[in-house]
Amino acid sequence: MEYPFWDVPLLGGGMLIGIIAILHVFVSHFAIGAGLFLVLTEIKARRENDTALLGYLKRHSTFFILVVLVFGAVSGVGIWWAIGLVHPSATSALIHIFVWAWAIEWVFFLVELLAAFIYYYGWNRLSARTHIAVGWVYFAGAWLSLFMINGILTFMLTTGRWTETRSLADAFFNPSMLPSLLVRTAVTIALAGLYALITASAEADESLRERVVKYASKWVLAGISVIPFGGIWYISRIPDQAREISMGGAPVVTLFAAASVVFSAFVLLATLLGPFLFPRRFHVTFAFVIVALGLVTTGVTEWVREAVRKPYILYDYMYSNAVRTEEVQLVYEQGVLGTAKWDLLHEVDRADLLKVGEQVFRFHCQSCHTVNGFNGIKFAVKGWEKDFLDIQLQNLNQLKGYMPPFLGNEEERKALVEWLYSLNNPPQQTARR
Amino acid sequence: MPVVIPPADPAGLPAPAWLLQILLVFTFILHIVAMNLLAGGTTIMAIAHWKGKSNPFFAALGARLCKALPVTMSLTITLGIAPLLFVQVLYGQAFYTASILMAWPWLLVVALVLLAYYGLYLVQFRPDWLGRWVTPIAWVSAIFILVVGLLYTHNATLNLAPEKWAQMYAQSAAGLHLNWSEPTLIPRYLHFMVAAFAVTGLGIMLLSLLYRSSDSSWADEAKRFGARLFIGATIVQLAVGLWFLFSLPNSFMQSFIGGNTVHTIILWAGVLLAVLAMLVVNRSALGAVALTILAIALMSVTRHSLRGMYLSPHLDVNAIPVNPQWVVFVIFVVLLVAGLGVVGWMVWQFVRGGQAEAQSTS
Ligand code: HEM
Repeated sequence: MEYPFWDVPLLGGGMLIGIIAILHVFVSHFAIGAGLFLVLTEIKARRENDTALLGYLKRHSTFFILVVLVFGAVSGVGIWWAIGLVHPSATSALIHIFVWAWAIEWVFFLVELLAAFIYYYGWNRLSARTHIAVGWVYFAGAWLSLFMINGILTFMLTTGRWTETRSLADAFFNPSMLPSLLVRTAVTIALAGLYALITASAEADESLRERVVKYASKWVLAGISVIPFGGIWYISRIPDQAREISMGGAPVVTLFAAASVVFSAFVLLATLLGPFLFPRRFHVTFAFVIVALGLVTTGVTEWVREAVRKPYILYDYMYSNAVRTEEVQLVYEQGVLGTAKWDLLHEVDRADLLKVGEQVFRFHCQSCHTVNGFNGIKFAVKGWEKDFLDIQLQNLNQLKGYMPPFLGNEEERKALVEWLYSLNNPPQQTARR
Repeated sequence: MPVVIPPADPAGLPAPAWLLQILLVFTFILHIVAMNLLAGGTTIMAIAHWKGKSNPFFAALGARLCKALPVTMSLTITLGIAPLLFVQVLYGQAFYTASILMAWPWLLVVALVLLAYYGLYLVQFRPDWLGRWVTPIAWVSAIFILVVGLLYTHNATLNLAPEKWAQMYAQSAAGLHLNWSEPTLIPRYLHFMVAAFAVTGLGIMLLSLLYRSSDSSWADEAKRFGARLFIGATIVQLAVGLWFLFSLPNSFMQSFIGGNTVHTIILWAGVLLAVLAMLVVNRSALGAVALTILAIALMSVTRHSLRGMYLSPHLDVNAIPVNPQWVVFVIFVVLLVAGLGVVGWMVWQFVRGGQAEAQSTS
């Protein structure tokens, strides 16, 4: 509507965000839990005078900074880059509604980051007490960053009373904020254990390896066992429509939601039957298998979280195609292209229905669909006749609850029908026949 | 082609525009100082690794710089996030549009930063394993960082050119544009990168202080090397700065050479401070550091005024409605002060620990 649309072929912008976001989530949650893991384990090791365990922690912390400070931090910036490119209006809204919340998040992040460096480079430089204190500062900074970002992210699905009050407090302390915080915190604990399984299983000293593997597996189990409670609480707080989509309303989403549960159970079982019960025989390959299962779980869960928000990008405020709910009437009156600022079609091309249809598709549909790649429209409308296409477009939001209403005017609808039809029935071919 | 400008976000600004502008420029200064140390430092580190094969001074310089660079990278990124926030708050209309036009190269920034960062760690942690690949990897990191800077200048200048946007977008929506046609592109970029070497010169002088007692002959040589680098780069900078000034649209240039008193004073005071810094650098490194930081601050204000000149026909931040959120702003300030206090405490402990360690080993 207001910004140019970036055409990402085949993959689509949403998928691009998804890839970056899933990797980032998987690392950033580890970043937080690992803070707690490092301090608590350090306290334990020092109390028990366990130098072998301390040695492991030092090695683990190298792995930690290489994963967290580099990949975690940069991929976080990457998400910001990607959402700004793919969903500029929604990104702008999130930025402007939450300016000071972002600023506060940045403060926590800054503290977290410097604490991580000082913790890492301070193993030999700081006294035990100070070193542990810096570890706590790290964990506090990291968890508080999560606290901030969680309030902003949950707002996207549960805008709550903000839609009426427009108050920052209502936006931040929105209905799903607390349950989501609980789930995410539990995930951080589980991931801390999961990553520790990798470094632990690479330890040379056999008895140390066995001990740490067992110890790390308990973190995984503890984290995972909290997730269902948080999850049920979370699901009870999300909009009815979102719940329906994940429970039958949209088959693919339901399938993924089920996959999320199944894969979490796999992680649980694999941890129980592997490192927890048989820490001695645990091998680094198996560690990677569990981590891979964890990554798949994160992936499908994040995907569902995104999918159930449809047809909105910011619930009850902005549709996925950047039309604000309060602008629906306006678009209805002036048409999609009348309100799309970046429709720069040349005057002579306005008579060409196919070109007009393509523009309508770009500004009204392409934020979720590609032409012939992920969620490709060409396959979706295969075999549809023009009449059928037209009926579908007229009742888009009723037939498919996860799509916004089609707001184009009659002319635009006809043009879109022509263009959609032409995808599977190229004009030259039809003409020749 | 029409000039198309997206409307301002309906949420408005959470504080008066002047306050947000101060925050933008202030945090930008922090970012750019860190960036200077990173870009110049990594390049010098690569050169030092290469020359260090036959020259022990450079070998030590390479190794010592290398230890400081990952933290510098991290600071560059983190201190970049704050201006990234404020630039989106104030100039999102320009920022998102320009970024979308160059979407792929813009996304490449993230990939290059990631790879350059891992390169720095590889060189620091695994020099033995890398063997003769140390120098090439250091160069790859340096070049990636220099390319990131160039992409930034593409983005920054495209932000300031609303009249180009529609034409570009009509040509292609694939996000593959760059701003090569911009006459200020190269001088502007060089202005930042030459500064990077000057600031790195000062950084090396400060680094030499750490080795004053443990390796005094190296420290002396490093101090001289840093000062020479600073002076050399700053002399080049005078020429590049003039080039940049003369590449600006005429009316903008005029306002910096007398047309507008405030703009003129700020720019030339900055130049003067840099010249003064050159004069004192051999006597007092810290004096030169202070003068240079002030010069960078004034130059950043100039950069901001220039943005105003480019954008004023198209968008006006003072016209965006303000819905102040003072309570949250105060919370932010309090947390910032507290956070900096905690950081100060940690750094102090770390430095103290280092002294204790040095004493116990000597
Ligand atoms: C290796 C890394 C980086 C380098 C070499 C670098 C370099 C630069 C340069 C040269 C500019 C000035 C462009 C101009 O005005 O022509 C700049 C501006 C900027 N940088 Fe960075 N940068 C780096 C990383 C980052 C990162 C990761 C972020 C964000 C998280 C960031 C945020 C910014 C912002 C927001 C501005 C512009 C502020 C404004 O327009 O006022 N930078 N950077």
